[in-house]
Amino acid sequence: MKFRAKIVDGACLNHFTRVSNMIAKLAKTCTLRISPDKLNFILSDKLANGGVSMWCELEQENFFSEFQMEGVSRENNEIYLELTSENLARALKTAQNARALKIKLTNKHFPCLTVSVDLLSVSSSSRIVTHDIPIKVIPRKLWKDLQEPVVPHPDVSIYLPVLKIMKSVVEKMKNISSHLVIEANLNGELNLKIETELVCVTTHFKDLGNPPSASEDASQDRNPEQMAEVHLEIRKLLQFLVGQQVNPTKALCNIVSNKMVHFDLLHEDVSLQYFIPALS
Amino acid sequence: VAMLKCVMTGSQVKVFGKAIQALSRISDELWLDPSEKGLSLRSVNSCRSAYGCILFSSVFFQHYQWSPSVTMNGNDSTLNLNCKLGMKSIGPIFKSLNSLERHVEKCKIFTKSDKCKVVIQFFCRHGIKRTHNVSFQESQPLQVIFEKNMCTNTLVIQPRLLAEAIVLFTSSQEEVTLAVTPLNFCLKSSNEESMDLSNSVYSEMCVGPEEFDFFQIGVDTEITFCFKELKGMLTFSEATHAPISIHFDFPGKPMALSIDDMLVEANFILATLADEPSIASSPQSLCLSQKRKRSDLMQSDSRADENVTSQARECTSRKAAPKRLYPDETFTSNSMLGKCGSPLMKRATGDISEVPESSVSDAEGVPASPYLRKFSCMFFGAVSSDQQEHVNHPFDSLARVSDSEEDINNGSFSTF
Repeated sequence: MKFRAKIVDGACLNHFTRVSNMIAKLAKTCTLRISPDKLNFILSDKLANGGVSMWCELEQENFFSEFQMEGVSRENNEIYLELTSENLARALKTAQNARALKIKLTNKHFPCLTVSVDLLSVSSSSRIVTHDIPIKVIPRKLWKDLQEPVVPHPDVSIYLPVLKIMKSVVEKMKNISSHLVIEANLNGELNLKIETELVCVTTHFKDLGNPPSASEDASQDRNPEQMAEVHLEIRKLLQFLVGQQVNPTKALCNIVSNKMVHFDLLHEDVSLQYFIPALS
Repeated sequence: VAMLKCVMTGSQVKVFGKAIQALSRISDELWLDPSEKGLSLRSVNSCRSAYGCILFSSVFFQHYQWSPSVTMNGNDSTLNLNCKLGMKSIGPIFKSLNSLERHVEKCKIFTKSDKCKVVIQFFCRHGIKRTHNVSFQESQPLQVIFEKNMCTNTLVIQPRLLAEAIVLFTSSQEEVTLAVTPLNFCLKSSNEESMDLSNSVYSEMCVGPEEFDFFQIGVDTEITFCFKELKGMLTFSEATHAPISIHFDFPGKPMALSIDDMLVEANFILATLADEPSIASSPQSLCLSQKRKRSDLMQSDSRADENVTSQARECTSRKAAPKRLYPDETFTSNSMLGKCGSPLMKRATGDISEVPESSVSDAEGVPASPYLRKFSCMFFGAVSSDQQEHVNHPFDSLARVSDSEEDINNGSFSTF
C-alpha cells in the first residue's frame, strides 16, 4: 500500500483545507478512501453516528499536482483509512501560504498520514512543518459498509435557501425544542416547524425553486402544494449546517416522507451528500 | 511599615495585566515584590519546575514609590513586602485587557505591609472609579539564580516565530522538545508523549538559523519542557515587541526564556527533562536530580504540602557540607554548582542547621527505576533585602547584579 500526493497551487491548497475543515465539523471520525481518481471522505450510517451518513467526493486531479497510489491489491486498488478528522484539518491549517504540501502514507511507529508543508517565511528562508497523523487501515472485509449510499427516490426535491440563514433559524429553534419538522413541496416552499406545549414556531421559505424531476410521472401525479415532511433531531440538522462555512455552489434537499432527508451539495468541484434519518 | 504606591496609564495597565496572565500559566499564586529597582511579579509552580519573574522598572510607571520599612531589630527582614496574592483574586481584575486599555485613564496600586491588603484603583472614563481590595498572604518571595549567559546555547527570536511554531500543537500537548544543531532549530511534540497516546498527532517545525536575530549553538542538544509554561512567556511577549532570548544547555539543566525591553524585564526559568543515565546522582554532586518521574515530583510536593520556605530548606540541605548559608560558603557552593550548571538556590537567612539529617537521606533513598526520566528541580532562595549582608559579603549573589560581562567576571551570578 502506498500513497503520495503533492499540492503546489495556493488556491487548491486553500480549497482542500476548507473541505477538510468542513469534514471536521461534520464527523469526528471518518473514513478516507483513496482511489486512483478520487478521494472520498465517508461516514457510514452506524448506530454510533445516530444513523447519519455522509459521502464527500473530490476528483484528485483538481487538487494535486502529483498523485501516486497503490491499493491493497491490484484487483482492489483502493485504500481505506480511518482518521480523526480534526487532526487533518488542523495540520492543513498550519499550511497557510505554503510553497508546497505533501501528503503520504507512512509507518513510523504506527501507520500515519504524514503531512509535510514547505512554508515560505518572511525572511524568504524555508521552514518545514511536519505532522504525523495516526490512522487505522480499514481491512477489506469492512469495505462493503463504506460504499456510496443509494439515494432513494425522493417525494420532493427542492433547492435550499441561503444556508447561513437556515442555520441561524435552526440555532434559535434549538433553544426551544430538541426536534423539528422539515417540510417542502414542489411549489418551491420549505418550512421548518417546531412545536412544544407552550409555543409553535414556523419559518417559511418561499420561491426556492425545484429541480427538474427525474421521473416525469411521479411529479405530475403529485399535488404541487402537498408537503412532504420529516421529523428530525435538531442537533443533527444543526451539525450539518454548522459544517457549511461557505455557501455552496449548489444545494439541494431531497425529502423522503417520514423516512429521511438527503442533502446534496456542491462546493465548487467537491460534492457532499449528507443523510439524516427521520426520528423513530 | 513598608509601603508601595505606583500609578499607571491605561496602556501600561495592559502590559501589567499581560504579565499577570503570563505568570498565571505557571502557578495560582503570585508575589508582588517591590524594590527600589521596580516592581517584580514572581511566580513558582507547585513542583518547583517553573519560575517566572517579570520586573517592571520604576521608570515604567507614571509614578513609583517604594519605601521599605526600617526596623531596629537586627534580624528583622521586613524590607520586603512579603506579599503573596492568589491568581483567583488578582487574575479577574486584569482579565479584559483591551477593555481596560480603552476605559482606564489611570490605575493606582498601593499597599502597606501592615494591612495585608493591596488596593487597586481604576480611574476610568466618565468619572468612574473602580476599587479592588485584595488581601494578601504574608510570604517571603522566592527567586531563582540562574546564570543564563553561561549557557552554551543562546537564541534570540522574534515572538512571531515562536507564536507560529506554537499553533502546531494542541492545548492538550503537555511537553514539547526543542532540538538544535548549529544549522537547524526544531520544535516538536515530545517523543514520550506521542508514543504513549496512539491517537495524538506528532508535529514538528524546523527553522533555519537565518530566521533568528541571534543563533549560537555550542552543543547539539534536545531539551524537553512544559508547553504551557512556554505559552506563558509567549502571552507576555504579545505585550512588548521585544525579541525573546532562549538560553539552555543539556537536558536536565533548566532553560531560561527572557524578554528585556528596557522598561520591563521578564524571565521564565523552566526545568527540562533529564536523561536518566547522564546525570550523576552521587552525594558529592551538587547537581540536583530527583530520582523520580516528573509526575512523582508533583505528587510528592502536593502531598508534602509544605510552605515555600520549608521546601527551600529541604533543597539546600541536600547540598551537603555547609549547614549555614553564609556568603563565603555560598560562593564555594556557587562555583561547584556552576560546574554542574544548575541554578543556585539562595536563602537570605540560614535556618539550614535546623533541618534534620533524615530529610537528606530520604531524598537520596528513593530507588531509581530504569528508563525513568526526571526533571532536575531548581533551587530557590528567598529574596534577601538585608542591606547589611550585602555590604559585608561582596560575593553574595543576591546583590543587585545584572547579566553584564563585568559582573560575571566578579564571580557573581545573576538574580532575577
